[in-house]
Amino acid sequence: MELTRRTFVKSTAVALASAAAAGTMAGCSSLAGTGGDAATSGGDSAKTVGVCRFCGCGCGVIVEAKDGKVISVTGDPENGSSRGLNCVKGYYLAGALYGEDRLTTPLIRDDKSTKGTPDGLREATWDEALDLVAGKLRDTWKADKSRLAFWGSGQQPIVEGYCTAKFWKAGLLSNNIDPNARLCMASAVVGFMNVFQTDEPAGCYADIDETDVFVTWGANMAEAHPMLYSRLTARKLADEAVRHYDVTTMTTRTSASADKVLTFRPGSDIAIANAIANYLIVNDKYDHDFVADHVQFKQGTENIGNATDDGYDKSDIGQAVDNVEPITFEAFAARLAPYTLEYASELSGVPAEDIQELAEVFADKSRKVLSLWTMGVNQHNRGTWMNHCIYNIHLLTGRYARPGDGAFSLTGQPTACGTAREVGTFSHRLPADLVVKNPDHRRYTEAIWDLPNGYLDAIEKPGYHTVKMFRELSKGGIDFLWSAHNNWAVSMPNLTRFLGRGDLTGINDAFICVSEVYPTLSCQYADVVLPAAMWVEREGAFGNGERRTAVFEKAVDAPGEAKWDLWMLMEVAKRVLAGEQIGGEDAFDHLFGAWYDAEAGAFKGTDREVCSSIWEEYRTFSNPSLNPDAEAINAEAKLKMEAKQLAPYEEYIYNHGLTWPVREVDGKWLPTLWRFCDGPQEDGFDEYGVETYGEHDKAGGVSFYKSADKKPSAVFRPYEPPAEEPSDEYPFWFCTGRLLEHWHTGSMTRRVPELNRALPEALLDMNPADCERLGVTDGDRVRLTSRFGTCDITVSTAGRTRPPAGMVFAPFFAEETLINLVVQDTYCPLSKEPDFKKTCVSIEKI
Amino acid sequence: MRLTGIAALAAAGVFAASAVASAAPSPLPLLRPPGAGAPEHFAARCVRCGRCLEACPYQAIHAAPLNAGREASTPFVNARSQACRLCVEFPCAAACPTGALDVPAERRDAGMGVAVINEDTCLSFQGMRCEVCYRACPLIDEAITIDYRPREGDDIHAVFAPQVVPDGCPGCGLCEQRCPVSDPAPAIVVVPTGAQEETYVARRNGAA
Repeated sequence: MELTRRTFVKSTAVALASAAAAGTMAGCSSLAGTGGDAATSGGDSAKTVGVCRFCGCGCGVIVEAKDGKVISVTGDPENGSSRGLNCVKGYYLAGALYGEDRLTTPLIRDDKSTKGTPDGLREATWDEALDLVAGKLRDTWKADKSRLAFWGSGQQPIVEGYCTAKFWKAGLLSNNIDPNARLCMASAVVGFMNVFQTDEPAGCYADIDETDVFVTWGANMAEAHPMLYSRLTARKLADEAVRHYDVTTMTTRTSASADKVLTFRPGSDIAIANAIANYLIVNDKYDHDFVADHVQFKQGTENIGNATDDGYDKSDIGQAVDNVEPITFEAFAARLAPYTLEYASELSGVPAEDIQELAEVFADKSRKVLSLWTMGVNQHNRGTWMNHCIYNIHLLTGRYARPGDGAFSLTGQPTACGTAREVGTFSHRLPADLVVKNPDHRRYTEAIWDLPNGYLDAIEKPGYHTVKMFRELSKGGIDFLWSAHNNWAVSMPNLTRFLGRGDLTGINDAFICVSEVYPTLSCQYADVVLPAAMWVEREGAFGNGERRTAVFEKAVDAPGEAKWDLWMLMEVAKRVLAGEQIGGEDAFDHLFGAWYDAEAGAFKGTDREVCSSIWEEYRTFSNPSLNPDAEAINAEAKLKMEAKQLAPYEEYIYNHGLTWPVREVDGKWLPTLWRFCDGPQEDGFDEYGVETYGEHDKAGGVSFYKSADKKPSAVFRPYEPPAEEPSDEYPFWFCTGRLLEHWHTGSMTRRVPELNRALPEALLDMNPADCERLGVTDGDRVRLTSRFGTCDITVSTAGRTRPPAGMVFAPFFAEETLINLVVQDTYCPLSKEPDFKKTCVSIEKI
Repeated sequence: MRLTGIAALAAAGVFAASAVASAAPSPLPLLRPPGAGAPEHFAARCVRCGRCLEACPYQAIHAAPLNAGREASTPFVNARSQACRLCVEFPCAAACPTGALDVPAERRDAGMGVAVINEDTCLSFQGMRCEVCYRACPLIDEAITIDYRPREGDDIHAVFAPQVVPDGCPGCGLCEQRCPVSDPAPAIVVVPTGAQEETYVARRNGAA
């Protein structure tokens, strides 16, 4: 703890020094206390506090606006996640607001036969567009509410996600709402829930500063988490004894800092992780005290096949995938026993001695080890299982929830944690880790939403997860779809199917509403496009990968008639719920009347007041003392909801973001950096959580008080092969992902001239030996074909990523390349997250 | 190339230009297609036939304008608008009938010039994660490498400093084309083979 305390003090000093250098950022927050109305028309520039629009790092920014326009975005030295720097995307972020083709007017498509083309949308008034959208939604709702859906996002700000979930779940009594976070974090989520019974990382970014060994599993941090990789590099430079092992299917920019790269055959990471766990047990190099105090052992359903066909979820095996049973430690060890170093080496292609070396790293308790992972683990036909296998190693060696000694699932999107997961915009969830199938959770939610007892029993059964939603859409099972903060026509896998290539019936017949800021490919399939205010054109908040909630203040007004998404939601909800009642009261007023005046068609207050008002309701979920009924249910059902306490809204602005749980101590709100780790709250430890629910003096100084019996689960998961493997017909693995210059589908970053210049095209990175064999060279055009579809792309052998022979890689940001036409929509049977990393393809020169 | 050096040179250049305001400035040295070699070698052989222009699949090669004096109609590459993509077979040089362009043996032998970084305007040197030039480089880790450095007074960020390897850089200019910085010039520019580095860079950065 000595190092931790020192680092904490040092970082505080840096923050204070930076604040002094930057002027009066505290004043900057309070100036934003203008109530969130853009106040930049006077000629002088005004600065507001924000957080970057793009990735899950959640870097803080200071936004400078003048004459109604954002003129600069710079790093916020007072944001605890980033302390003052951004990557090139953040540096040029202001440009994302000012693409030439911003949508500023509602658009309506009268002729469905124009779908899939850039034509066919005409300008409309808001009333006409909203009446149309609400009318279609209401008609569908009244006719058959299994045929309506909302597809949201890990980029939807927190209070907007909260209101959307409330409208869908309480207003429409529908669970057909899911976010694009299903495509990136779902396996991590199910892993968290299965292992810890709480959906959150125990650690924080400061773990990077404290560890001795980094192990990256299926993570290209250098490109996908630029500033966290800078932090990793800073740690490595500060101490030459620090080591990095990169466990990956291909050499990436992240491999540059690795002391050893373990390149494994796609899908075999589970065998490697199991071999490490087995080695630790067989050689008695696990942490006996930690295991005795903190770990229970399980095994689950095996031979679960693959979710490629639509009928998988309802098949016998599909319905059994979540089953687990307790086993003894001895039985757990026996299940691992086949995973010798040699067997793992045979499956993975990684030399046995390298796997042994990594196992010894975990065995050496004199040094701290931090595992970091992202999409290589999550977008995996056994993504949930691989999350388990990493935790298994860390639990066996007592390396979890301790500073610098942990397992940290890196989040991809800016508020995948804050909105999709914490608010619960999933088809099976309610806010704050609650789930629809649990009666106590429904009662608790009813108390806070002031719904009649049993009201939410109608949504006991989960709705459509993302892939199911789009499969239904493509085959005519959806009549109404609303999407916001995403670009599904580029980001979904198997677009050959979902964009209706071949059979347009489903897409054409459905009514599709797209809320957007630019005319994306998704807009070409929309019946109505609603122009949205973007980022700091309204106030919002994101929750990043380390449990940090941060507000971005409104800095400027939206262009033209573009509107806040929350206003669109209120206006649609008002129309759909007209004449409906909840508990004898007007349904809309009952749900949203606290902050929206339906008759006036306006919010009751400024952006700041509205966000604050919604936040106060939302945070009641994790502060039950604010609602006596909820408090009683919380006590009776032992929900421990206050274990993830949140602070009042203003605290987040004043502090430039806070990591939850935020504890109220003597009138002050203190954040928690190391969840479940005993120690002083003022130093970032979970003092009050452990004191209230946990136990002191347990092994490792940690107490997993949210887990069943206070013991996380080590679950044995076997190696099972990928959904498809290279064949004569499709001889290459095709892996997809993100690159540094562009955010997701490029709809924002490609409109920033500097970023578009920096990376104007998506290339297919190939191994030179494969190129030679196929007779293709750098710059050649090739056609990729899989069982699912085909696309054309230009080959690169420059080596930005270096796939081994037999594998190729391409990024997904370019809609003109549209690699997702080729990618399989097979998903992890537990998390329903698609495997974007292992489609098998043929490559032919064109 | 330290920024202070460039700034000083730029200032000197402006001064010199204003002192001799009536004299037309000499044209900026041109970036030649692959295999041109030394300026004298190229000038003695190029017959301005335009075949290299026609052979380039990327339309990266242009003819110098007629008012360009002795350079008029000779082929050049404007890296900022379209860099040379270093085609493996070098169709431009292969099309040259006079040997003004010798087909390079390898891509790294194109010999067009060497990239130079302006550390004062480069985002990476300020601690931003950019390194666009490095990742865009067709000879990544050969022509441009990254020097990972601690960042002074900052324990949670490193500086990812791009470094040009003069012997490894063929001068194709893809780094210059992709650099997000443009004010006053890209933070990395290719100095054509035979051009004087300090003078060229200073002029690219705004000195006359």
